[in-house]
This record gives sequence, C-alpha cells and structure tokens, in this order.
Amino acid sequence: MSSRPVPGSLRLRFLLAITLWVVLGIGAIWFSAVGIFSKHVEESYHEELEVHVRELGRLAEVGPDGQLRLTRPLSDPRYEEPLSGFYWQITARNRQALRSESMTRGTLDEHIAHSPEILHTLENGPSGPAITYGFTRKGPSDEDIHFVIATDQSELDRLIGSFTRDLSLWLVGLGVFLLATGMAIISFGLHPLDRLSVAIGRLRRGEAQDLEGRYPAEIAPLVADLNAYLHQNADMIAKSRVQAANLAHSLRTPLAVITDEAERLGETAGGREPSKVLLDQARAMEQQIDFQLARARSSTGQPYSARWVRLPEVAEPILRAMKRLHPDKHFVLETNNCDGVQLPLDEVDYSELLSILLDNAGKWATREVKLQFVCEPNQSFTARVIDDGSGMTEKELSHAFEIGSRFDRQKSGSGLGLAIARDLADALGLTLDLSNTPSGLAATVCFHPASIER
Amino acid sequence: MRLLVVEDDPELGRRLSDRLRAADFAVELATCRNEAEDWPDVGAMAAVILDLGLPDGDGIDLLRHWRNARVETPILILTARGSWQDKVEGLNAGADDFVVKPVRFEELQARLNALFRRQQGTRNNLLEIGDLSLDPIARTVEHAGVPLALSKQEFRLLHLFMRRAGQVMSQADILDDLYELDADRELNTVEVLVGRLRRKIGREHIVTQRGMGYRFEK
Repeated sequence: MSSRPVPGSLRLRFLLAITLWVVLGIGAIWFSAVGIFSKHVEESYHEELEVHVRELGRLAEVGPDGQLRLTRPLSDPRYEEPLSGFYWQITARNRQALRSESMTRGTLDEHIAHSPEILHTLENGPSGPAITYGFTRKGPSDEDIHFVIATDQSELDRLIGSFTRDLSLWLVGLGVFLLATGMAIISFGLHPLDRLSVAIGRLRRGEAQDLEGRYPAEIAPLVADLNAYLHQNADMIAKSRVQAANLAHSLRTPLAVITDEAERLGETAGGREPSKVLLDQARAMEQQIDFQLARARSSTGQPYSARWVRLPEVAEPILRAMKRLHPDKHFVLETNNCDGVQLPLDEVDYSELLSILLDNAGKWATREVKLQFVCEPNQSFTARVIDDGSGMTEKELSHAFEIGSRFDRQKSGSGLGLAIARDLADALGLTLDLSNTPSGLAATVCFHPASIER
Repeated sequence: MRLLVVEDDPELGRRLSDRLRAADFAVELATCRNEAEDWPDVGAMAAVILDLGLPDGDGIDLLRHWRNARVETPILILTARGSWQDKVEGLNAGADDFVVKPVRFEELQARLNALFRRQQGTRNNLLEIGDLSLDPIARTVEHAGVPLALSKQEFRLLHLFMRRAGQVMSQADILDDLYELDADRELNTVEVLVGRLRRKIGREHIVTQRGMGYRFEK
C-alpha cells in the first residue's frame, strides 16, 4: 500500500476526517477564545475608565477664582501625553472648560455627561472613535459640571488584535502539530494494511504461497479467510489437474483401441473411407484432449503460484531429454549473463513451454538448435530457441499458433504444440513470437516484470 | 526381432501385440510392473514398449530399475501421459523415445525402426553387408541387386544375422529372437531355417562354429 494518500484510499479518508476535525476544533477554540478575551478586556477597560471618571470627579473643584481646577493630576500619566488616546474634559456653564494635556486638539461632547449616573457611549474623539464616559455633578451655583473621559477605541482594538494575532499563531502551530500527529496515527493505524499489501505483493510475485504475517484482531479473520480460500483454490486446481489428467488417460487408451480398429478397417475391402472418417475423428478427439489437458495443466487463472524458475537449471533436464529425443541434432545452451537468475514463474509451465519450442526446433533443425538466454538490466528476460532449419513463410508464420497447424505431415506431431505454447505463454504473462533468422526459425519468449505487476 | 510390450490394458495390449507380430516381430506381453520387472531376458529384446501407468507401479521406476541394472535395450515409452514434464522425466530416466497414445501403428513402427537404426549407428533403414541388402521397412532383400523371395521366418533370421554380423549366436539365442517364449521351440527348427537361408543367399555368408552356433560374415 502506498504511504501517499491516493483518491479513494482509507488513508485519504482518515486524513480528510482528521483535517476537518482539527480545523473545526481549532476554529471553535479561536472563536471562543477571542470572544471571551475581548469581553474580558472590554469589561476591564470599561471598569478602568469608570474608575478614571470617578477619580476625575473627585479631583475636580471650583477654585477661588471661580475657575475649574484639579487638586492634582490624574494618577494615569497617559492623560498627560499629547494625543495619547486618553482624554478628559470638565465643562460648566459660564466657566472655562478644563481639558487634559493630552487633548491638544478638539473637544469631547459634554452632552454625554448629562446625568449624575455614569454613562458611556462611542463617540468621535480627538484621535478617532473613542469610548466616552461621563456624568454631571452640581457646581457651587447649582450649575451642571460635565465630567467626560474618553479613550480611543483603537487602544482596545489593539489589545484585542494583539491577542488575536498571538492566539492565531499558536492555534495554527497547534493545528499543524495535531495534523502531523494525526498523520502519524494514520500511518501507525494503517501499518497492518501496509504489511498486508506487501504480503499480497509477495503472493502475486510468487514469493509466498499465502498471506504471511500476524495482523490485528480486526484484520486477522479476513487474512485467515483469504488464506483458507487460497489454499482451497490451490487444492481445487491441483485436484482438477489430476482429474483432467486422469480423464485424458482414461480417454486415450480407448482412443488408441479405436484408432487401431480404424486402421484395421482401412485394410479391409471397402473399409478405406469409413476408416479415414474414424481416424480423422479420433485425431480431432486427441487434439481436443491434448489442448484442453494442456490448458488444465497450465496455471491459467492463477498465474503467480509460489514457484521460481531458476536459470539455467530449468533448461538442463529438458536439453538432456531433447538430446535423447533428437540424437542427430546438436542442442546448445547459451546462458550469457543469466546464470543464477530467478524468475517468478511457474516452473512446470515454463518448462512445458521451453520443451515444446525445443522439440519443435529439434524436428525442423538441420543440425543444430540453440537456446539463448538474455537478461536485460531492466529485469526483463528473453529466451530464444533458434534452429538452423528452413524457417517459415509469412503465411505459415501467420497461422503457426493456430490449433492443428502442421506444415509437414511427414513429421510426427499433432499440430498443437505452438498453440499450447502460446496458451502457456499467455497464462504466464509472457510474450511469444516467431520470426525467421538468417539461420532458420527463432521462437522468442520475453518476460517483462511490468507484465506481472498487473 | 523380439519385443517386450508392457501394457496393462488387455485390449490395447492384444491389439498392439497382433500388429507387431503382423510386422514380423516376436512379441512378449507383460501386463503389470512386477511381471515386466521379473522378465528373464529383457536385455536380449530388440526393444521394449513401455506403458507408464501400470496398475502395480510406475513405469518410470521400472525404466530406472532396468537402466540401473545396465539393461541397454532400446525402450520406447507408449503412454497416455502427454505432458512434457512426463516426457522429460521419462527420457532422462533412460527412455529412447516417448510416444503418446493414441498413435498410428505406422508411426509407432517408424519410431521403433528409428531406435533400431540409432542402435546400429546408421541413418537409414537399409542393412547392407557384402552383396546383400535388407530393408526392414519395405521387407525386401536383394542379393547382388537381385530381389530374393524369403519366407517370414527366413527374413527374420537374415535380419537377425545382419544386425549381429560378426557375432557368434547359439541356436538358443536365435530361437529367443525369432520366437516368443510360449511358442513351440525346437532347436532343429534353426538348423532347417539356416539351411534354407544358405541355399538362397549362399553358404559363404553363414559360418557354423562347431559347438557354439552360427556367425554371419561381415
């Protein structure tokens, strides 16, 4: 299994779920934290301004000259700094207004302070929107003295903004950490599936006979079921092959009797034609038996059984047999750079394929049959069976793999060999081609690793 | 020429034996592995036709047993097993040829003759010694280019002499090759046959080795 999420994969589903969970969680935290903090800061701010406006009320008095004055400056020095955003103002009818040193320009709206109760609102201040607190108190002449304190809204926004930025940064960090942790958990959680994927790969490449390894309780029953199925399937195929062989065996002997009877019939007066019909039909039956039995014997439908073809060992017994079968032909093996190479192929099927090609070449060769192995750096492998016979015409080449194609009826054979060879090659995932060479005919069997990894 | 046929199917065994006898072979039939394994003179047979699927054992094991016992008789496997795995195993166990049932008798005979030729180290069927030539397939004999008319037994005897030219063969050896074990076998039959053959091909070809038998001059 790939460690990168691919569309439709469990890994991607988990990743999307965790991402959604983290984003929703972090978002909720962000909104909650910003809301709570803003409320808390605003409340603190308002409390502070209320304290300041009360202090302003306590410190203000009407001097002997009838002018408003403070007995001492406000305790917060920000009211002394020009345009600091912290302002106060005291006004009364027929008296000169008193303002904080910070308020070097503009005025505060005295109408905000129109009641002995402390009231607040958002107003335009000397340096932008300001939170303004105010109340009134009676002066010596029973006039209303307006006490107003204002603080720029931007100050509160700055505090909240600064907190929000810091919080966002931390939450992004937390989100990244949670996502990374989530991915690690996904990898850890899906690791048994990765191992299962590796086990399936080994099974497909023929390196194992079943799914190997121990798996978590959730997967183990599935693996056990799959292994049971694989074993059952292998047993069934083995039994089918034996049954097919038994069937062929039991059919061939009576067929031999029928063939003999037909031959005898052909030797009697008037028996030639019926004999020919019987012999032709017996031959057709024999061809079907051979072809279907070869298919049953091959690993069709189960191309990657747990077997290996080892080079050049696979060819040695076949070549020894060929030397006995065609004693007047010289069989040569050229292994080139393939000694010790192993191919993930069914040895029985591959041997059958090589045997058919070598026997065919042995029948047609004038003197020599060459078996060449060539191993390419890209792990592809080629086996070439080359004879020094007369080769084939284009027409013969185009019909060579058809069932019953025989190009010389003087030579023994059923005309099935190459058809079975093509069937075997297909079942093994190999390519089989025939071509003429300067010396004769060449049968080329190619193995490409990519063709196995379906 | 005497052949041993090891075939468990009685019908096929009978038919095959009849065919081979009609082709002038003396045929012994064994119907199971034990019978074939105990056969007293497998080494003296011209060839063995061996079925693999025997009721009391595997033909391949029997083949190995014979080869381990240094039996050099050509052995042709005639079986219903048609896979190359079986063929390679059979040939590497010591078989000289492998034929899958059913087979036309014509082809079987050709394969047997190929085995005989291989054993004799010749590439064609024709046996030629001096002015005599014998074609075992066409069943013809020529003496100095003139066709000779020989009876079935005379032809078999001449074929045996020419295959083993230069070797001394006792009357018993000749009887073993010409007749099946359960046939009526009388030693004077050989003397009568040799006498008739000498009259047809010339006395000089067959030399009597007193107390030992006959030798066909090369």
